[in-house]
Amino acid sequence: MSAKPNEQFWIEHLMRRAGFGATPDELKHYKSLGYHGTLNELLHPESIDNSKLERTIAEQGFDFLDPTDLKRWWILRMAFGKRPLEEKMTLFWHGHFATSNRKVRNAYAMYLQNLLLRKYALGNFHDLLLAISQDPAMIIWLDNQQNRKGSPNENYGREIMELFTLGIGNYSEADIKAAARAFTGWQTRHTDFFFNARQHDYGVKTVLGTTGNLNGDDVVSLLARKPQTGKHLAKKLITYYAVDEPQASYVNEVAAVYQASGGNMRRTVEAVFKHPDFCSEKSYHAKIKSPCELVIGTIKTLQITKLDGDLPSALARMGQDLFEPPNVKGWDGGQAWISTDTMMERFNFATRIAQDKFDAMEGYFSPSQLIYRQGLTNAKDVVDYFLNLLVDADVPESTRQRLIFYVSTSGQSREGKKATNQELLDAKLRGLTHLIMSLPTYQLC
Amino acid sequence: MDISRRNFIKASLGVASFFLTPMEIMALAAQAANGQTRRAGSKVFVIVQLAGGNDGLNTVIPYGAGAYYQARRELGIEQAKVIALNGKLGLHPNMQPLADLYAQKKLAIVQGCGYANPSRSHFRSIEIWQTGDPAKIADTGWLGRYLDFAQLEGGKSSGILLPAVNVDPILPKTLSANKVTVPSVSSVYDFRFRVDPKYPEDRAQQLEAFNDIYSNFNLRRPYVDLLRKVGLDANAASDYLLKVVRNYKGNQQYPENTFGRGLKFIAQMITGGVSSQIYNISLQGFDTHANQTRTQAALLKQLADGLSAFQADMEAHGVGSDVIVMTFSEFGRRVSENGARGTDHGTAAPLFVMGSAVKGGIYGDHPSLTNLDDGDLKYKVDFRQVYATILDRWLQADSHQILGAKFDTLSFV
Repeated sequence: MSAKPNEQFWIEHLMRRAGFGATPDELKHYKSLGYHGTLNELLHPESIDNSKLERTIAEQGFDFLDPTDLKRWWILRMAFGKRPLEEKMTLFWHGHFATSNRKVRNAYAMYLQNLLLRKYALGNFHDLLLAISQDPAMIIWLDNQQNRKGSPNENYGREIMELFTLGIGNYSEADIKAAARAFTGWQTRHTDFFFNARQHDYGVKTVLGTTGNLNGDDVVSLLARKPQTGKHLAKKLITYYAVDEPQASYVNEVAAVYQASGGNMRRTVEAVFKHPDFCSEKSYHAKIKSPCELVIGTIKTLQITKLDGDLPSALARMGQDLFEPPNVKGWDGGQAWISTDTMMERFNFATRIAQDKFDAMEGYFSPSQLIYRQGLTNAKDVVDYFLNLLVDADVPESTRQRLIFYVSTSGQSREGKKATNQELLDAKLRGLTHLIMSLPTYQLC
Repeated sequence: MDISRRNFIKASLGVASFFLTPMEIMALAAQAANGQTRRAGSKVFVIVQLAGGNDGLNTVIPYGAGAYYQARRELGIEQAKVIALNGKLGLHPNMQPLADLYAQKKLAIVQGCGYANPSRSHFRSIEIWQTGDPAKIADTGWLGRYLDFAQLEGGKSSGILLPAVNVDPILPKTLSANKVTVPSVSSVYDFRFRVDPKYPEDRAQQLEAFNDIYSNFNLRRPYVDLLRKVGLDANAASDYLLKVVRNYKGNQQYPENTFGRGLKFIAQMITGGVSSQIYNISLQGFDTHANQTRTQAALLKQLADGLSAFQADMEAHGVGSDVIVMTFSEFGRRVSENGARGTDHGTAAPLFVMGSAVKGGIYGDHPSLTNLDDGDLKYKVDFRQVYATILDRWLQADSHQILGAKFDTLSFV
């Protein structure tokens, strides 16, 4: 860490985790609230006016029947919304109840599912689990449309236990078969939930030791209140927000809040951010940024206002194709984000953001204007400014020296002509931004 | 550079030197570029994962058994359409190219592959197949441990930039190793270190700065070592692989889909002399809980067309007997179809091994269709017997060490 961590330092850390980073103006606002004030605001998104975002969205005229528009819509929300934790939780639930439009093939149903995940983002888990069990996209995704009396389809019955609630090892194959029967007849019709009573199995079933004429509602209630569910969710939330390999005590404390609050996600998530391990050396720059964190964080830090239409495919190449997670388990995250392939994509995203794509006014950002506004004149100050801005100056001294050397070395412009000072400065500042965004630390969250 | 000297330095320091300096990497890339490449005749193994759980019974079809048609009233494939291999078994109608390879004795079918106490969870069962360990959650993959083994044996993959290549976007656990990091390259054209096109002369300076910074990037944070290693590898490999692909000569047509393009890329690397012994690729979408017929038919066509194109390409380049390909899936599917013209998660299934060096034929017994374990097939061949065969008889490794136990090998190679 660059200096002795103070409250402001941890607010920046909180925003990288509970949100997608923050713009300089947003940081000023959060720092005025203090850590607990910030956390409180994040946990109560309903109290924050988000109408500017909604107006921006309305101006874009998105077509929610178009899968690519849907992805752009969500990126816009993540980049310009004022309720970062709500958006970050929505992404968490998308990875948890991972549904892919590659199979659903109905962008509008995916859009409705996304609204549902946002609505319950910090709500009660039982309510969310029930709503997702009746969600048309989910019903198509895990084949519950074809789960009929007399010939049950086990797909939903299995994944609701293995992935959505208890976790593997906490149920038997017989539990899965019985749960599948309880969800028979839970279908979708015209992008709506439809209970097909003729296909529902009203017989007696035993799920996790409870016997009766159980239906889907009963199974949802049973699963939501099991302590294993709290533990499973606690571990996933902590690894999503705080550290990749949490101490058992951290998991147990968060799980206990889940249990005591009856599955209140606002309280459960609050416990993740209030735990001493969250604001600690164990957690600081200790996670790999997801592609969304990398891309949206860059947009915020550099205050980029122009979003390219192909950002969704850039995210996909980095391994996070929104609305198309790799499978029902969602994204593994952590180390799995990094391969030579995805690393190269990250480097190339850096190039693209840093490069002078349009003229200076219309580009992603203008580094020379930025340093002019900051009143910076020498290479050392410029390097320190960008290192602070982009990576919290969390780099070895050798890196800093090498960057200063890079910026100070004059190059040749194209066609062998000596560059004008202006051109050289622009090239070097853009190269510097590219190099800093390609550093190991820039991949850390 | 002198590889044995590098090993000596490592040994004398008593630690595995995990990192190559940029100079070492450039030297290795230059070696490769200068023709110090895969030794002629050295063995290559391509592993194909059929992700989602392929329905084995509708791939290699026991069309001679009445029980098959009883269990598969909707999904059963009519006898007349099955491509018969013998009086009992046949291939799915879309797999004629593989039937041709079977007739040429270049395709082995190992029936009933699985393991005891099978997991019907996709994720656990994939992990079991990828790690080769049904008992506990292992950290490394079976081929990753092979790569570690080959490095210790000295020279086979030691200090080599590309010990194996994964052509999927995500590295499967199959290739997780302790001492070797396997690169993933799904599209070679996206795999390039780019700079601002307005200032092309600055590229050399940026690359130089990048390499210097990365080689000296000592920061005590989790993942920094990994990021450093992967970042350096990515840059070193990108120019080299692009050159390999551009130098490829061949007119074999591959299917126009991700799987076909991936196989072609593997063929380009093998024929271009890349030193890798192991390649990984997957074909996605086999989780057919509903309306299976069309989905599976399309996938099996991609599989058969892709594999046969690859085999023809290998033969055309005179390396047919250096390369074998194996398919696998995390599980087969339930014997009885479900009510949705689909099948639920099951257990044992057949797998394919293809290559000019393969002894074509059918290996293992077909599991009974009536003596079932809770509706599922009982496995006949432990999947680790197949792995042991590949390790001992193809890669000349020590399967006992890599798999942690001794398994009887089969004779398909």
